[in-house]
Formats: sequence, C-alpha cells, structure tokens
Amino acid sequence: MIYLEPESVPEAVAALAGDEDARCLAGGQTLMAMMNADLVMPSTLVGLRRIAGLHEVTETEGMLRIGAMVTHARLAGEERLEGARAVVTGSGGGGDDVSISGRLEGARAVVRDAARQIAHPAVRNRGTIGGALCHADPQADLPGALVAAGAHVEIAGADGVRTAPVDGFFVDYLESSLEPGEMLTAVLIPEGPQGAVGAHLKFSRTDGDYAIVSVSSVVAMQDGVCSYARVVVGSAGPAPLHLDAADALLTGSGLDDAVLLQAGDLLAAAADPVDDVRGSSDYRRLLLPALLARAVGAARERFDG
Amino acid sequence: MAEKVPVALFVNGENRQVLVDPRQNLLQTLRADLGLTGAKCGCGHGVCGACTVLIDGEAVLACLALTVAQAGREIGTVEGLADDEASAALVQAFVDCGALQCGFCTPGMIVAARALLQRNPRPTVEEIRHGLGGNVCRCTGYVKIVDAVRTASGAVQP
Repeated sequence: MIYLEPESVPEAVAALAGDEDARCLAGGQTLMAMMNADLVMPSTLVGLRRIAGLHEVTETEGMLRIGAMVTHARLAGEERLEGARAVVTGSGGGGDDVSISGRLEGARAVVRDAARQIAHPAVRNRGTIGGALCHADPQADLPGALVAAGAHVEIAGADGVRTAPVDGFFVDYLESSLEPGEMLTAVLIPEGPQGAVGAHLKFSRTDGDYAIVSVSSVVAMQDGVCSYARVVVGSAGPAPLHLDAADALLTGSGLDDAVLLQAGDLLAAAADPVDDVRGSSDYRRLLLPALLARAVGAARERFDG
Repeated sequence: MAEKVPVALFVNGENRQVLVDPRQNLLQTLRADLGLTGAKCGCGHGVCGACTVLIDGEAVLACLALTVAQAGREIGTVEGLADDEASAALVQAFVDCGALQCGFCTPGMIVAARALLQRNPRPTVEEIRHGLGGNVCRCTGYVKIVDAVRTASGAVQP
C-alpha cells in the first residue's frame, strides 16, 4: 500500500485518478477498522489531513460551509450550527417587546444534535463529517440529520467541483453517488426556515451504539399551526427515509398526537429496515411512529413554552 | 508484504524513529516497535477503548490511527502520564477506590479519564459516564471507576 498526503484538493484528485483502488483517509474511524479486519485493502491511501481548506468552517451566501475533515467533536460544539433563532414576540404590544427563547436553537441545530450523539468522545475526536457521509451508512446519525437540514454536498473530481443536494448522495447501503476519482470536499448547510427548531432523536439500547431507529426533524410553528416540517428517519432502509407526503401531513396541522402517528404510520409503511442484532425489521417499523411522535411532540412543546 | 517506510513520531515527549508497514496502526507500532504495552488491543475496531491514547491532547483510539498519518503529532500513552501530577492522583484514586480487577481496561480508562478531567475538571456522574462511554470494562460494573474519577476530581473524599 502506498500512503500519500497531498496538500491541496487538485493534488488529492490527481492521486485518486492514478489508482482505481485508491481510497481517501479522513478520520479513519470506520476505514481503519475495516482495514484492521482485512475487509478493505486499498492499494493507495490518500490522507487528507494536510489539506487546510478541508478543516475550515466558513459562512458563504446564507450557507454554513463545513469542510469534509471537520470532526464530530467540532460539530458538536459549533455555535454557528444554531442557524436562525426562533423569535417569540411578547404580548405587550410594544415594538421592542421581543424576546428570544433560550431553548429554541434553529434549524441547523439538528446537525449539531446528531454529532453530539455519535459513538463516544474518542471517536468524535477523530471521525469527520466527510468520512461519515462517504461511508453512506443509513444507520449512522449524520446522514439523516443532513437530509433534514436540506444540506448540499460539494464534490471535487477531474472535471472540477460540483454541488448537489445531499438527498441524492445516499444510493444504497454503504454506497454513495460519488464517482470513481471523486472526493467530497464540503457540506453546505442552509440557514433553514425562520423560527424553525432542529433536533435529532436517537433510540439505541447502548450509549454510543448505532441507532435502532433515529428521527431527525426540522419543525416550525406559528400560532399553534405547523408552518414547516421536514422529518427524516435513520436505520429505516438503505438510505435516510424522507417522504414529502409525511411532511405535507404535518405542515398546516396543529401537530396533535393523531397527526403525528398518522405521519409515522406513513413512514413505517415505506420503511425497509434491516434485521440485525440491534433489532428486527418488524421491531424497527413498530418503533418508528412512536419515536416520530416523541421527536415532533417535543418540538411542539418547545413552541408552547 | 508491503515495503516498510520510515516515520518520525513524537511519543511521550521523545522523538522516535520507526520503520513500519504503511498499513500498520498506531497501537501495533506502540506495542511492537516501541515497547509501550500499556495500551491494549481488546477489539481492533474501535469499540472497547482499551487502546485509548492522547494525540495532541485529545483521547483517540490507537487501533484506528494509521501510524504513517501520525507524523508531527504529539502522542501520549499511559506510560507518559506517570510524571504528571493530575494523572498520578487519578491512578491513586483507582487504587483507593478499588476501580480495577483484571486491569486490562485500566490504561484506556486512565487516559480517557485524564482527557475528560482536562476539558471538564469537575464532571458530574452523568458526564463521567458519558466521558468513559467508549471504554468497556467486563469486571467492575463501572461503579467504582466512576467513584475513582469523582475522587480524583476532588468532588468526593477518598
């Protein structure tokens, strides 16, 4: 195996073009485990740690641009992931009588909330957003959270740089839409709807394990009516599960329990989860509506408060 | 067998030159090439925490760190903590609280606890449990390990 450490994205892309069995090494928290078990044996490994731009978090044109090498630990503490703050107008009538609720953290908080729940401190210190996405594991936390946030991915290849919605990035179990010779360079997260709150609810039997089912949600309410909802379920099939019809059911409703269960049933019917040691496919489908009700119900209560 | 490559590592305050297979992980290098056998291999895929070391001051799993990618980084193992006062207090607390039985997980626990106390000197019980969540112990049931970290933090008397 040849190990390379390019110092720029074009150099890395050139290194990938030179060997079709080449892999990128980001934080290594999955790839190294697979290499230790001889499940993956790349002939060339392209280490990304010296490419400075991949470690940066910047704000551009309403988007928060997160470099592919930004770790889960950094995401977990990233204040700019609060995005748009919910503003609660006071009833006193005065123009200045506007207060900001401390609990409402904006749409982007769904990403930070997910990052905080990934594995354990040592894994979060090294694991990266780019690595987590390119591994394309639908049981992981960030894929669903980024779909809920309406994020885009920035991909570099021999023909230059392209961006695409993250939704289409996840093709199948452990399969992304990256073409040979391409690499993910950044994730772009929009500010999200004004006043929305984002949260990631993870259900697992053991702290830090993969989710049996997870629910990533971005929800906004105005005067008791849901003005925006985007709900995504993880560990529910080969890719993060998102249905426009479920969002449409929630939007315009009062997010009462009956509507939440109805949306959950719709998603459960579309889910195709795996049977494994963490839970059977049937069990995961059974959990889904209850967890969705818990996640969106918690969001509703934050608006009541 | 891949051709070996030279790597300059900085381990426990010393420059160390090693010649390694580029596929080798840091845990293998520490144990086989540098004779630092404190960090243990429990699982080899980042689940047990027995190989926890410090890299640039942060807790990291040595089995998931590629040795050739660690050039220029500051690596600290449990052996290197021996001279550090706060770590010595932590080790003593483990002894006083009876926080170990077979001892296999202990080096990883000590390093992870050291990193936790570095960023959060007075953790709550809940924070300790999350801070050590990636470190598996099959003997103690964790209660005395949590007691030891609380004792070392000064939250309770030994």
